[in-house]
Amino acid sequence: MKCEYCEIVEGMEKYAVLFQDEQVMIVVKDLIVTPGQITIFPKEHFTILEMVPDAILEKCSTLANKVSMAIFESLGSHGTNILIQNGLGAGQKVPHFAIEVIPRIENDNLPLQWPPKQLMDDDMDTAHLMIKQEGDKLIGIGTKKEKKEATPEKKEEPKKVVEDKDGKKNYLLKSIKRLP
Amino acid sequence: MAEMTEEQRKAYEEKLKNMSPEELKQFQKQQCIFCQIIAGKIPSKKVYEDDKCIAVLDINPAAKGHVLLLPKEHYAIMPQVPEKEIAHLTVVSKYLSQIVLKVLRASGTSIFIANGFAAGQKAQHFMIHLIPRKEGDNLLPIQEKLITREMQEKVAGAVINRLNAVLGVKTPPPKETIAPPPAEDKEESAIEEKPQPPHPPIKSPTLAPTPSQPSSQPASQPMPPPEKKKKKPAPEEEEEAEEDQRKENVSLDDIANLFK
Repeated sequence: MKCEYCEIVEGMEKYAVLFQDEQVMIVVKDLIVTPGQITIFPKEHFTILEMVPDAILEKCSTLANKVSMAIFESLGSHGTNILIQNGLGAGQKVPHFAIEVIPRIENDNLPLQWPPKQLMDDDMDTAHLMIKQEGDKLIGIGTKKEKKEATPEKKEEPKKVVEDKDGKKNYLLKSIKRLP
Repeated sequence: MAEMTEEQRKAYEEKLKNMSPEELKQFQKQQCIFCQIIAGKIPSKKVYEDDKCIAVLDINPAAKGHVLLLPKEHYAIMPQVPEKEIAHLTVVSKYLSQIVLKVLRASGTSIFIANGFAAGQKAQHFMIHLIPRKEGDNLLPIQEKLITREMQEKVAGAVINRLNAVLGVKTPPPKETIAPPPAEDKEESAIEEKPQPPHPPIKSPTLAPTPSQPSSQPASQPMPPPEKKKKKPAPEEEEEAEEDQRKENVSLDDIANLFK
């Protein structure tokens, strides 16, 4: 069974297509939360968020931001929600990664919210520890860090070793005397 | 914010007016509880940090493991956030989602941004919510409904102009002047969006064929059917093979396989 979004990529005309290039499509779907909802998805098939390569994900996210701005201005929305339903538990219906941009107006009563809870300290602590343990292993996501080593210091050390053999630590004085 | 007398409020407003942009920025940071958290002045349960962003647990979570991902810089609303930071935050949220799925054994995660008060934005500091999900948890209980083709195209027509402007898509001149049309009668079809060289483009012939649409854009393709069938040549077998390969490489098959 073919994925619905892949079928759209191939040319099936179920959705209104707003934009596409080689990597992504922006469409108006038929199954939506509220009229005005716009969906962005990569043409290549990735089932869930974790499978999407960083570069494509970055592109989708910046497009989602732009779609959000366009919605604000053209549909007169008071706000937008950007939602990724990642996995069956999150209500993902089509097994193809997508970002939804949902227009909001005040008092529209869309159930895009949750009741805040008070968890027990134990629960919070265990969640904190477990996630942090893995989170600390994440290094250098999307950033390029340059490491500069302090090479000058290394050069000084051998000098000290040599001078100490003479029994005198005033190597600096000696080096000064050697200067012409 | 404590309630102020009128005099106090006036004095306050005066003070704000006289501040330089930098002072104002500093002032906003002092007022922002999340900036205080980032600065370490308010304790928090931090789970990830890099030079651009920080992730902490929500103290009033939707579920255990609810993570808030914040840029370190103070941005009140999403349009203020630079593109690169949005991109970075989204990629970080992907890795955090992977962690949450693994350690909490969730069957999904919701990545959620509330942009504006009407959208449920509570804090004056842009953030991404990462909520572990499981079936039946009744969080974000949205219900999807079908809309008609007409409605889809109405929305598309309403948004397309602004979207093209924001995306920097140059709309081709109306009808006549389109350079050698590849074939057929559809003159407009060729250059709908950005020049797409090799790809046999799926036109958006669906866009606003209805005369009721005000769009003067040649984005309005009158002809629907014939175009798309050209696309079919993409051999389905190849795609299936690619899919299989991808599935083998993936370490989160449990979730992906739920769809089968």
